[in-house]
Amino acid sequence: MDSDCLSLLPAVCLVLADPKQAPPDDTSLEKLLDWFKELHSQSNGQVLLQDQPCLLEFISSVCTSETTDPAILSFTLKLTGLLAATKQGFHLLEEGGLLLCAFEREACYVCDLWEDASVRSGWLQGLLNMLKHQKSLDFICRNGLIKVVLQLQNDRSLFVASLANQLLVHILNFLTSSSTTNGSDAVGSSVSSLRSDWVSVSSEIMNAVVEALSSEDHPQVLRGLRLLSLVLSQCGEPIRSMLWKDVLVPLEVLIKRGSESLTQTLMTVLQAADTSARPVEELLEAMLGDGNRKECFQCAALVVKLEKCPEVSKRKATGIILLPLQCVSTQPQTEIETYLVLNEQLSQKASCISLLMQSLSSLAELAHRKFLFEDISIHSITSSVVWLLRMCSGQCPSSLLRINASIHLIGCCKVQRCGLDTLGALSVYEENVDLRKDIFGVLLDYLQSPDSHATVLKKTFQAAVRWIAVCSPFPDLLQFISHDLFPVLEKRMCDLRWEVRDSTLEFITQLTTALNGNSGFTEALHTSGMVSVLLSSLADTEGYVRASAVAAVGEAVTASFHHAATERNSSLLEKALTQMMIALSQDTEGFPRRAVVKAFTSWLKGSHPVTALESSLSSVLSLGGNDFDWEVKMHTLELAEVLMEKTLTCCPYIVQNVDFSEKTRLTQALSRLKDYGLFDLLFNSLLDCDRPVCEKACALLVRLRTLTAETADLDHSALVLNVCGNRWGDEVQSRYLNKQQA
Amino acid sequence: MRVCSELNDTHGPTAEEKTSVPNVSRVVASQKTRKRGNQFSFRRADMKLYCLSGHPTLPCNVLKFKSTTIMLDCGLDTTAALYFLPLPLVHSPRLSKLPGWVSKDGAVNLEKELKECSGRVFVDSQPEFCLPEKELLDLSTIDVILISNYHCMMALPYITEHTGFTGTVYATEPTLQIGRLLMEELVTFMERVPKAQAATCWKNKEIQRLLPGPLKDAVDVWSWRKCYSVQEVNSALSKVQLVGYSQKVELFGAVQVTPLSSGYSLGSSNWIIQSHYEKVSYVSGSSLLTTHPQPMEQSSLKNSDVLILTGLTQIPTANPDGMLGEFCSNLAMTIRAGGNVLVPCYSSGVIYDLLECLYQFMDSANLGSTPFYFISPVANSSLEFSQIFAEWLCQNKQSKVYLPEPPFPHAELIQTNKLKHYPSIHGDFSSEFRQPCVVFTGHPSLRFGDVVHFMELWGKSSLNTIIFTEPDFSYLDALAPYQPLAMKCVYCPIDTRLNFHQVSKLLKDIQPLHVVCPEPYTQPPPAQPHRSDLMLELQPPPMAYRRCSVLGLPFRRRYERIHLLPELARSLVPSEIKAGVSVATVSAVLQSKDNKHVLQPVPKPAPVPPSKKRKRVTEEPPEVLNPKPLLSGAVPLEPFLAMLHKNGITEVKVEETADGHILHLQTEDVLIQLEEDATHIICDNNEPLRTALRDLVLRFLQKL
Repeated sequence: MDSDCLSLLPAVCLVLADPKQAPPDDTSLEKLLDWFKELHSQSNGQVLLQDQPCLLEFISSVCTSETTDPAILSFTLKLTGLLAATKQGFHLLEEGGLLLCAFEREACYVCDLWEDASVRSGWLQGLLNMLKHQKSLDFICRNGLIKVVLQLQNDRSLFVASLANQLLVHILNFLTSSSTTNGSDAVGSSVSSLRSDWVSVSSEIMNAVVEALSSEDHPQVLRGLRLLSLVLSQCGEPIRSMLWKDVLVPLEVLIKRGSESLTQTLMTVLQAADTSARPVEELLEAMLGDGNRKECFQCAALVVKLEKCPEVSKRKATGIILLPLQCVSTQPQTEIETYLVLNEQLSQKASCISLLMQSLSSLAELAHRKFLFEDISIHSITSSVVWLLRMCSGQCPSSLLRINASIHLIGCCKVQRCGLDTLGALSVYEENVDLRKDIFGVLLDYLQSPDSHATVLKKTFQAAVRWIAVCSPFPDLLQFISHDLFPVLEKRMCDLRWEVRDSTLEFITQLTTALNGNSGFTEALHTSGMVSVLLSSLADTEGYVRASAVAAVGEAVTASFHHAATERNSSLLEKALTQMMIALSQDTEGFPRRAVVKAFTSWLKGSHPVTALESSLSSVLSLGGNDFDWEVKMHTLELAEVLMEKTLTCCPYIVQNVDFSEKTRLTQALSRLKDYGLFDLLFNSLLDCDRPVCEKACALLVRLRTLTAETADLDHSALVLNVCGNRWGDEVQSRYLNKQQA
Repeated sequence: MRVCSELNDTHGPTAEEKTSVPNVSRVVASQKTRKRGNQFSFRRADMKLYCLSGHPTLPCNVLKFKSTTIMLDCGLDTTAALYFLPLPLVHSPRLSKLPGWVSKDGAVNLEKELKECSGRVFVDSQPEFCLPEKELLDLSTIDVILISNYHCMMALPYITEHTGFTGTVYATEPTLQIGRLLMEELVTFMERVPKAQAATCWKNKEIQRLLPGPLKDAVDVWSWRKCYSVQEVNSALSKVQLVGYSQKVELFGAVQVTPLSSGYSLGSSNWIIQSHYEKVSYVSGSSLLTTHPQPMEQSSLKNSDVLILTGLTQIPTANPDGMLGEFCSNLAMTIRAGGNVLVPCYSSGVIYDLLECLYQFMDSANLGSTPFYFISPVANSSLEFSQIFAEWLCQNKQSKVYLPEPPFPHAELIQTNKLKHYPSIHGDFSSEFRQPCVVFTGHPSLRFGDVVHFMELWGKSSLNTIIFTEPDFSYLDALAPYQPLAMKCVYCPIDTRLNFHQVSKLLKDIQPLHVVCPEPYTQPPPAQPHRSDLMLELQPPPMAYRRCSVLGLPFRRRYERIHLLPELARSLVPSEIKAGVSVATVSAVLQSKDNKHVLQPVPKPAPVPPSKKRKRVTEEPPEVLNPKPLLSGAVPLEPFLAMLHKNGITEVKVEETADGHILHLQTEDVLIQLEEDATHIICDNNEPLRTALRDLVLRFLQKL
C-alpha cells in the first residue's frame, strides 16, 4: 500500500504547494503527517528524501513562497523537522539550505504568516521533531533560536506557549543526556566544546526562568512557574539542582508575597521539587503560614494530597484544612478570633461552602490513606462531620454564634454530598465504630428527609453500605436495619423519582452482598416484607429500576441459598424465576433483560447448587441467545461459559460415580450441555452480526474443542456427530484460527 | 388648613408675620419638585392598621387610609373546633358512650357538656370557631372588604351580618365561587348532624380554670361562635362585587385598589392600595411555585411605602415538592400492602394538584386500578369549577382549553372511572365503594364531615394510612379523640405559600420602605430556635403585629394632590431663584369635593350693594389680603459686616455658632442671629433701629 501512496506523493506535493488550490482541512494534513511518521519510523529519513526528491522541492517551494497558506506552512515545518530527525536527513536538508530557510525566524517567510498561531506551533513542533541528535541542537544554538523559543513561551496562544515550554524542557534534557553519552565517548575533543554550549544554552533558559519569577507581571510569573515545574519534574541532574538553587530566592519572595491565584502553580512546583529536601519543607511551611491567610487553606488542601511530603508540613496542613470544619461544627481548639480571615470567609456563603468542601474532601483523602491523626482524635473529627451533616439538614445550629454558617448550609446539596462521602471514607478508622449510633442516626435522617436530593440519597446509601460493612459484627446493627432502615427503604422504593428507587434497590443489593451469610439479616429481609416489595419493584415503569430490582431479587435469592431450603426460600425462588423469565421474554428494555441473565450467571457461579434453576437454564440460553440486544447475548454467553465450567469440571447435578471413566464423564457432561441448548446458542452466536458475540462464542467453542482433544480416549467423530450431527468443530476451529491470524 | 410644599434652598422669612386666611391659600410652587399638570401637594394625616386576627395565615386587618376604612381579608380560625368532639355522620357507639367529665373532687360536674375521650376532655356540642376581634373598632364604619383568597373569607358572614356593615366586598370570581362552596360545605357539615345542646357552662372563667388542659388554656372562649347559616352566607356573598386582576377600583376618589395575581390558588390576589403619593401593598397567601393558578405578579408591588405581609407558609421546614413525594410514596406503600388511604382535605386547592400528581404517579407505581373517591357536599361543583376558570389558571393549563382539553387531568380520571365523587358517604357511594382505595374528604380538623366516619371505620387497622396534607391543624390534636389508633399516620403538609427564603428574595426585589407582618414572622419558630433562617430579617426591622394591635404606619412622603385650574395657572409668575428652580406664589380658593382638591381663582369682590341690609355671612367672598413677599437667599457674613460698617455700625463682635453666627452690635446693644434658615434681630425698645437693620438684611435677600 505504501508503494502506491509513494507513487502519488509527487502529485500530492504539487497540490499542497500550489497556493491557488484551497488548502485541505487540518485533519487530512494531520493524517498525512501521521503517515510520514509511520514511514519514517519504518525506514530512515535518508531513504525517503533520496527516493522522493519531490519532498525537498515541496519544502523549498512552500518556505520560499509568499502566498503559502498558514496550515500548509505549519504542516511543512512539522514535516521538515520530522525528516531532519535523522542525521542523514538533516544533512540533506542542510545541504540544500532548506533547514535554515524553514526555521530561521526572519529569513524566508513573511512576518504576516508568523502571526498565525498554527505557524508558530508548527515551527515549535518541527524543532521538537528534529531534536533527536547533536547536530540539530547545534543548529538551534547556532542560529539563536533559543531566544525565539523563550519568547514564544509568553505567546498569547496557550498551545504555543505550552509547546515552547515542552521544547525548552526537551532541550535541557537533551543537553544532559548528550553530555553523558559524549562523556563516555572515546572522542574526548568535542566534550569541552559541547560543555561550553551546554552552559550557555542551559543558563540562557534558566536565567529566563529566574527573570520570569522575579517579574512583577503576573502572567509572566505564572509562565515561569509552569516551566519551572516542568523542568523539575522532567529534567535530570544537574539541571534540576542548578535551577533550584537559582530560583530559591525568587520563590521565597513569591511565597511571602502571598497571592491566591499562584497557590496552585506554586504547589505544583514544590511537588515537582524534591519535597523531602529541607528548602522545600521550609517553603511549604512558609506557604502554610500561620493559617490566617486566604490562600493557606487551598495550599493546605494541596499539601494534604501530596504523596511525598515532609511529615511536619503534612501535619500542619492537616491542622489548617480541618479548621473550617471544626470552626463550623465544634469549638475550634484555638480561639476563632485569631483567625480573622477564616472568620470572614465563613460568614460569606460562597467561600463558606468552598472552604468546607475543601476541608471535607481533604479529610476524605486523608482517610483514604488511613492517615494517623495525632493532635486531634478521630472521634472528634468524625463527630464534626456528623454535626456538619446535621447542620446541613437544618437540625443543628452552628457552634459559633458569631458566624451563622448554618444559614448558608441548610439544604446545601454540595456540602451534603461531600460530607456524606467523607463520612463514608471515615469508616476505615476502627475507633469510629463507637460512634455508629450517631452515624447511623444522621444517615437515617438523610434517608428519611423528604427534601433529600436524589444525588444526596445516593451518597447516603454509599456511606451507609460502608458503615454497615464495618459494623456487621455488632448485634445492634440488625436491630437498626430491620427497625429503622427497612421501613425507610420500603418508602424510598415508592419514591416519585426513579433515580431514588433505583439507588435504593442498588443499595439493597449491596447490603445483601455485604451481609452475605448473615442469617439474621436474611431472616429480617423476609420477615420485614422487603422481599415482596423487591418482587413488586420488578414491575416498575422505569427500565433501569426494573434492572436494579432484578439484581436485588437475585441477590436476595442468593442470600437465601445459604440457609436451609425452607418453604419460604423455595417460594421466593419460584416467584423470582417466574417473574425473571417474564422479564427476559417480554421486557421492552435491554437493561432488565441483561440483569436477568446476569442474575442467573451469579446464581450459577455460587457455591450452592440450585437444582430449581436447571429447568429454566435452557430457556434463558435460548431467549438470551436470540435477544436483539447484543449485551444480553454477551451476558448469555458468559452464562454459557459458567455453565460449561460447572458441568465439565464437576457436573454438580449428576450423582458422581467413581467408576466412571473420564470419557464417560465428559460425554455425559457434553450431552447435558446439549440438553441445555448450549451448542445451539454457541453455533447461532458464531454467526451473529455483532463481532464481540461471535468472538465470545468462537472462544467457547474452541475451548470445548481443546477439551475434547485433550481427552485421549474420546472418539471424536462419534462425539461431534452425536453432539450436533455435523462436523461443526472443524469449521469453528478453522474460522477461529483464521481470525487469529488476521 | 396649613398649606406648604417642598421649598428648595429658599430662605425662611425673617421677622415675617404669619397670615391665616380661611379657604384662601398661598402656595409656593417650586418647579424642581415634579409638577404633573397643574397639581400641587398637601401633607396628610397618618394611617393606621387595626389587627383583628393574630393568625398569620388567616388574617383580618383594617387599614384606615386617607378617608377610607378598608378591611383586608376576613379569615376564620377554625382551630377552636379541635376542642370539640367529632360529629359522627353515622351513629358511633364509641363516641356515644364516652363518660362525662367530673372534677376529681366532684365539685364541678359538667357531664353533659364535656366528655372524656382517650385521656382528654372535649366539649360535646356543635363545634365553634374563633372570630376576628369585633371590639377593636366599629365594624359598621368599614367601607370595603378586600378578599385575597377563598380561605381568607370564611368569617365574612360574621362581619357583614349583624354588625351594621353597609360596604362592599371585593373579590375575584373564583374566590367568590369557591369561597361559597367552602362555606356551604361547612354549613352542610354542621347542619347534617344537628346537636340539640349548646355547651356554655364550661366557658365560665371560674370553671374553665379548673378544667384539664388544653381546654383550660383556650383563650377568648366567649368570642367563639357557632357556624353561620346558609341564609347568612347568601346575604354576605350578595355584597361581593367581582373584580379582575389589575382592575383599578376607585374608592370615593381617595384611593384606588387593584387586585394582582398571587399564584396561590384559583383567583387568589394580592392588593395594591394607593393614592397619588402613597402606596400600600397587601401581600396575602402567595406562591412562586408552578402549580395550577396564574403565576404571582411581583413587579406591581415595587415602590410600596408599606407592605403588609401575611400568609407565608405555615410549615417553613416542609418543602412542598418533598412533601408531595412523601405523600405519593406513603400512599403507594399502603395500597401495595392492601390498605386504604384517607386524605382529610379541603374540597378545593391543593387537592387539584394532588390529583394531578397522582394521575401521573399511579400508573408508574402500578397502582392504576386503585379507585380514588372524593367525598364532599360540593365535590362535583369543585371539580367542575376548576375546569371552567381557565383565565385564572397558569399558562400551561390555559393553553389546553384551546386544544380543546380540560385544563386539569382529573377530568380524565373521572371519565375513566378512576376518580369518583360523591356528596356524602350515604347513597351511591356505599354500594360502589371498593377497597383498597384512596379517599379524599373533609374536614381536615377531623371534627366534622365525612372524614369522621372513615376514621371510625379504618382507624383500627394498621394496614390503613391517614395522610395529612393540609397545614392548618396540628395533626396530633386532630387525632386526639380517635386514640388509640392503629392506622398509620403520615404528616405531609403541602403549603405552597411563600417561604422565608422566597420572601426575602421578593422583598429584596420590590424594596418596600416598611414591612408590617404578624409577630411570629419576626422570630424563629418556637420549636426550632436555632433556625434564624426561618424569620424575616430586614432593615429597617419589620413592624410586628398581634391580635388587637393598632399600628401607626410610617410614611416618608405624605402629600395630597391638588389641581390648579388653567386660568389660575396662567396667572402665575415664576421667578428663578437658582438654576432650574423657579418659584411663584399663588392666591386661590381651595375647593375640596369627593376627596378631589381644586385651586380656583379668587372671585372678585362684588360691588357693595347700596342696600343697607345685613349680608348673609356664607355668601360673603373671603377677604383677600395682599400677601407679603416671600424671601429667599442667604445673608453672607462679610458683605453684611461691610454693609453695617458703611451704615456706621462699626463695633461688631462676631461669634460663630453651630447654625451660623451671632453678631453683637456692642454700641447699640443689639444681637443679630444669622442662621441658615432664619435671621433674628433682637433689639429692645428701638423700633427705628430694628427696621433699619431689617432693611439692611433684606438687601441681601430675593423677594417673591
